[in-house]
Amino acid sequence: MTHSRLPVLGPLRLLTLAAALMFSLAHADEYADVSQLVRTGKLPEALTKADQYLASKPRDPQMRFLKGVIQRDSGKTTDAIATFTRLTEDFPELPEPYNNLAVLYAGQSQFDKARTALEMAIRTNPSYATAHENLGDVYAKLASQAYNKALQLDASNSGVPPKLALIRELFSPAGAKNQRPSPVPTAPSVAPAPTPVATKPAPTLPGPVVSKAPPAPTIAAPAAVQTPATPPAHAAPTAAVSSPAASATPAAAAAPSSSNASKDAEAAVLAWAKAWAARDVKAYLASYGKDFSPPGSMSRSAWEDERRQRITSKSKISVKLENLAVTASGNTAVAKFRQDYKANGLAVSSRKTLDLVKNGERWQIVKESTGT
Amino acid sequence: MMAGRLTADMGRSVLNTLLLTLAIAGASPSHALGHKRTDKSKAVRQDVVVAKDTDGVAEARLIEVYRLIGQAQNREALAKADRLVEDFPHFQLAQLVHGDLLTAQTRAIKTFGDVPDTVARSASAALAELREESQRRVRALRERPAPGTLPSQFLALSQKSKHAIAVDASRSRLYLFENSPAGLNLVADYYISVGKAGTAKIAEGDQRTPLGVYYITSNLDPKSLKDFYGSGALPISYPNILDSKRGKTGSGIWLHGTPPNQFSRPPQATDGCVVLANPDLQHIIRTVEVRTTPVVIASQLQWVAPQKTRAESKPFEDALHGWRNAKTSGNLQQVLTYYTPDFNSNGKTLMQWTPTLKTELDQAQGRTIQLKDVSYLRWTDAADTMVVTFGEVADGTRVGWTKRQYWIRQENQWKIFFEGVI
Repeated sequence: MTHSRLPVLGPLRLLTLAAALMFSLAHADEYADVSQLVRTGKLPEALTKADQYLASKPRDPQMRFLKGVIQRDSGKTTDAIATFTRLTEDFPELPEPYNNLAVLYAGQSQFDKARTALEMAIRTNPSYATAHENLGDVYAKLASQAYNKALQLDASNSGVPPKLALIRELFSPAGAKNQRPSPVPTAPSVAPAPTPVATKPAPTLPGPVVSKAPPAPTIAAPAAVQTPATPPAHAAPTAAVSSPAASATPAAAAAPSSSNASKDAEAAVLAWAKAWAARDVKAYLASYGKDFSPPGSMSRSAWEDERRQRITSKSKISVKLENLAVTASGNTAVAKFRQDYKANGLAVSSRKTLDLVKNGERWQIVKESTGT
Repeated sequence: MMAGRLTADMGRSVLNTLLLTLAIAGASPSHALGHKRTDKSKAVRQDVVVAKDTDGVAEARLIEVYRLIGQAQNREALAKADRLVEDFPHFQLAQLVHGDLLTAQTRAIKTFGDVPDTVARSASAALAELREESQRRVRALRERPAPGTLPSQFLALSQKSKHAIAVDASRSRLYLFENSPAGLNLVADYYISVGKAGTAKIAEGDQRTPLGVYYITSNLDPKSLKDFYGSGALPISYPNILDSKRGKTGSGIWLHGTPPNQFSRPPQATDGCVVLANPDLQHIIRTVEVRTTPVVIASQLQWVAPQKTRAESKPFEDALHGWRNAKTSGNLQQVLTYYTPDFNSNGKTLMQWTPTLKTELDQAQGRTIQLKDVSYLRWTDAADTMVVTFGEVADGTRVGWTKRQYWIRQENQWKIFFEGVI
């Protein structure tokens, strides 16, 4: 799932960027093709291709989701609302369609509806960062409206409507397994049924829940699911990563996994955070594997230049990782944690997921996503 | 704001502390409503009422929101506030609290009505008024009249008056009583607004609400009223005899409702009228009777036990009986000792009015005068006065008069300074 670069209200909105994007091999190309067409602005072609796909797989949630995004980008708000509404009806466990419905409603100044949709998204997935942040903006907008009504102020005083963050691509079912107990029903290559423990979203929740239930066993099932080839994903760096500053003290929570692979992968994550905080650009960039896909259509070298510029421009960076949970299987690992980033007065806390692959003896990041 | 910290609990403690500071947390709605409905027929009011055209409901729901905030249940408070503003979109105070609860979802609340600074500056008066309204509503609900006590003005109310109203301007509160043979019983009370310039009306246009003992004089057809007056209007008898004697001017003091775009108005907002929320006013209009319902408006009501007031009113009762006995005796000179030199009956001086009195004595022909359905309400400010209403009937006659007298205590003697047939 990549995140649109819409104009946003505050600096924090930029933080909610991608989360895991894991296409099943069979369909990844078609999703990727449509996404590519959207990215390059070829909306009619994208819509045609999406419709072609949906002709044979009318229930497919990912392509329907993409179609909704295309409709929205094409200015067909009513159609997009209909598409996402039907997605929420067919797949009530997915938070993303609710989020995008909220974006569309907010665009129409229907903030009550936007709020309801976002609250549904969060009910579906309590740690869904984008929805939380969008909801924060909607609450602020509704509060402003309430205050205006309270003080009988002209509605024209209420300022511009917030621009909420649109989710541009849907999790694949496999990728979603870490977040959601029930995989999308019609999705291809559905992973093994989640263990009973896994029906709890505990592993992705911050703080208290994790501390109560050791996440290791919970994570086992989904981790296994993620093992198969993860095609280079459109990971987008977070704003935290892209606009950081100053010196760091990584403080990692205990990693629950008992396997050596997990420990090694965890060490790689800690080293990454430490390099970042130390503004050691060389070590920081070396944390990323050659398969790492920079966000958008950015080339690897352009991305590296941007990272270097952003990191070295800060006088002090602090990166703290909390609730770090690493699950490894074979040569792949997934690290999930809360990242508390501070630099030059900016303090940002966000959830992050790093996908790592073992190259030789080194664990390297192949995908970096923010949000749940 | 950060995703993980964005919870409904955020800002809870501050808002909670704030509301506690405002002495809101302890205002439990059960307590608030405890005195409101004691008669069985209206006991349904104790339940959760969803109808929006019922009196007092909006406030009770607001107080429930306050109570939840006081218990740090912001999520539940927000849910209830959502529904409250949906049902009463023009209840500005509810909107303010709703705004705070929404804001508390994203950041800590610093003050009650935590509007953006620019708004706080541009609408500072309106904001202050809403805060005042909140405090007055809460105070009136927290500081209840002691059970069994009545406003000190209500010394005796005959069964001719089925209801009575008392207004406490300091609390922005109107109290509605039902009058049963067992006595007055407080059945409801409502937030009200008074004059922009407060109370103690003296002159026309002074934007003050009069203080004194009045009666409802009519019930105006809402269709004849502008939207501004809301669901109806009950004019009261300002200026009364005492007011006129004191040279007070002005007219058209009503109990009336609120315009469509305002559920309630600030504590001091009117040109002198007493303004209630429309559902509350409608309940009063449906309940009370024209002419026989007294309306006492005080800057601050004193609530006292009826037995205490009975003891204090003994000297007056003795004077009233003395007057009656004098009238029964037929001795004009003795009767005249009960009247003040500046007596005035609708423009007639005591001398001009004496023939009328003599005629009454002649008609009675020594028969015993009976006073029936005696009511007297005491009004004490610079002067100590009594507004007295009764039926005056001579034994053996079928009909008499319904009379109203104004008495005043002068050098510990109660004397009549007005008498008229109503």
